Amino acid sequence: MIEVENLYKKFGKHPVIQGISMTIPPSEICCLLGPSGSGKTTLIRLMIGVIVGDEGTVKIDDVNMPNLSMLGDIGFMPQNDALYDDLSAEDNLRFFGGLQQMKKAALEARMNDVLALVDLTAHRKKMVRDFSGGMKKRLSLAASILHSPKILFLDEPTVGIDPVLKRTIWNQFQELKHAGTTIIVSTHVMDEVTECDKAALIYNGRLIAYDAVTALLAETTSGKVEELFIMASEKEGARL
Amino acid sequence: MMDLAKRVIKQTVNDKRSIMMILVAPLLILTLVYFLLGDSNYKPTVGIEKGSLPEPLVTAMEEQHMHIKKLPSEAFDEPESYLKKHEAVDALFEMNDSSVSITLVESSTKGAKAMTAIQDALADVNPAAKMNISYVYGDADQTLFDSLGYVFLALFSFFLIFIISGMALVRERSGGTLERLLMTPIKRSEVILGYTLGYSVFAVVQAILIVLYAVYVLDLSSAGHIGWIFVMMVLLAIVAVSFGAMISVFARSELQVVQLIPFTIIPQVFFSGLIPLDLIPYHLGNLCYIMPIYYGAAAIKGIMVYGDGFAGIWMYLAGLLGFVLILFLINMQAMKKFRRL
Repeated sequence: MIEVENLYKKFGKHPVIQGISMTIPPSEICCLLGPSGSGKTTLIRLMIGVIVGDEGTVKIDDVNMPNLSMLGDIGFMPQNDALYDDLSAEDNLRFFGGLQQMKKAALEARMNDVLALVDLTAHRKKMVRDFSGGMKKRLSLAASILHSPKILFLDEPTVGIDPVLKRTIWNQFQELKHAGTTIIVSTHVMDEVTECDKAALIYNGRLIAYDAVTALLAETTSGKVEELFIMASEKEGARL
Repeated sequence: MMDLAKRVIKQTVNDKRSIMMILVAPLLILTLVYFLLGDSNYKPTVGIEKGSLPEPLVTAMEEQHMHIKKLPSEAFDEPESYLKKHEAVDALFEMNDSSVSITLVESSTKGAKAMTAIQDALADVNPAAKMNISYVYGDADQTLFDSLGYVFLALFSFFLIFIISGMALVRERSGGTLERLLMTPIKRSEVILGYTLGYSVFAVVQAILIVLYAVYVLDLSSAGHIGWIFVMMVLLAIVAVSFGAMISVFARSELQVVQLIPFTIIPQVFFSGLIPLDLIPYHLGNLCYIMPIYYGAAAIKGIMVYGDGFAGIWMYLAGLLGFVLILFLINMQAMKKFRRL
């Protein structure tokens, strides 16, 4: 379980996160939905603990973040591919698995699993520089789930990929969820919300709505997330 | 830490350009420097007035390493204008009852060679004017490459590793891999040590290649044990990795690393031994103490020119170790910018 309590963060004088509180239950997919620059990535980085809030707390399974040992239970897939072009696919995985202190035999076995999961087994020895954009995205996902994390943070995982691959990736997220992984996905693609159990609408660093996706959509007349977001952001705009 | 070091090694090996830059470029440049600064065996052409010089002097001049051109007296009426028109002649030499005059095209290596040849010829006919010059270190036959070769050993070990490691670290940031790396339980100190260890492997290979090539192929003389040269070059390269890591914190792109070179590397070149430090005015030579390259170059000079061993270079060794420690602490702090823990 992830508990965020009254979290604030400024970069210089610019407030990026403004008093966010939320609880994400285990084994659920929670999406952080908001336009570019709304603070989604910063919130993820605060939750993981690579940056520290000016005020407020983040707890993962009752452990105050940041905590170095907790990073072993966390997987992170950044917005960009974040892979080494001059290494093969399996060398990239071997490196990130090594950093997660995986034992050699376990790492090799798990590498086979994740490469099969993202359908890259045939390309495992290929240099990443020779990969297409979609292949890099899949390998990036493989690197983030390699150590079987309890909690997986995905920062805009489906940006710039085709609908077929997007479907494949979301199927993989659902499988991970059913295997017990808590998944936090940031996105500005409204359609993807329906794939999630919970949605947090973030606007200007504030949490303007947070509930089960079904409950949030029930509040709208059209049943579309866009309407929900426009309603919530207008309400927030009026408050400001 | 070992995973990171192994990755750095594998990644660099897979990048042919980096390998070329670390291992092939220094040998190519060193060869070029060898030819540029080596003995060119240039034979200057000196013009003399036909029939005006005593015959023994002309004979002595002909025995020297120069071409003699006997010219009509008109050439000496306006020697500057003659030399401007006749580029093949490097100097005009004339002598009358009261004086000796030499006109050179310009103050250059060619002019200096012409001057030396004329002086040697004059000394031959007048033994009283002959000077016996002896050297504590080296000898008169040393070329400029022999005298300054050590500077290039220090420069290569610092500069090339600095560029490769600095660029790689910036790429790590801009590509997002640093962020992913720091979201694993790796400690900040392990990141820095892993990087240093990875590039140190290339520093060792580079040092071995450069020293063996310089000493055994280019015949760069070393009075001291070449093992100490390896030690200093590797240590200097380790400082270069740490220095590159520090600079990469202030640069957002590879271009910005290049833009920082005039502030970080070029000033160090001037304190590497190319210019004697005590000739620099206003005590600016003391700035050398804040420049890592000075310690490396001074120690390599000590080993190669003075034949120093550990007793002669320990203070430079300590200086470089001090830099390694200070830069490690700075980098540990700088890494907090990317992850607090």
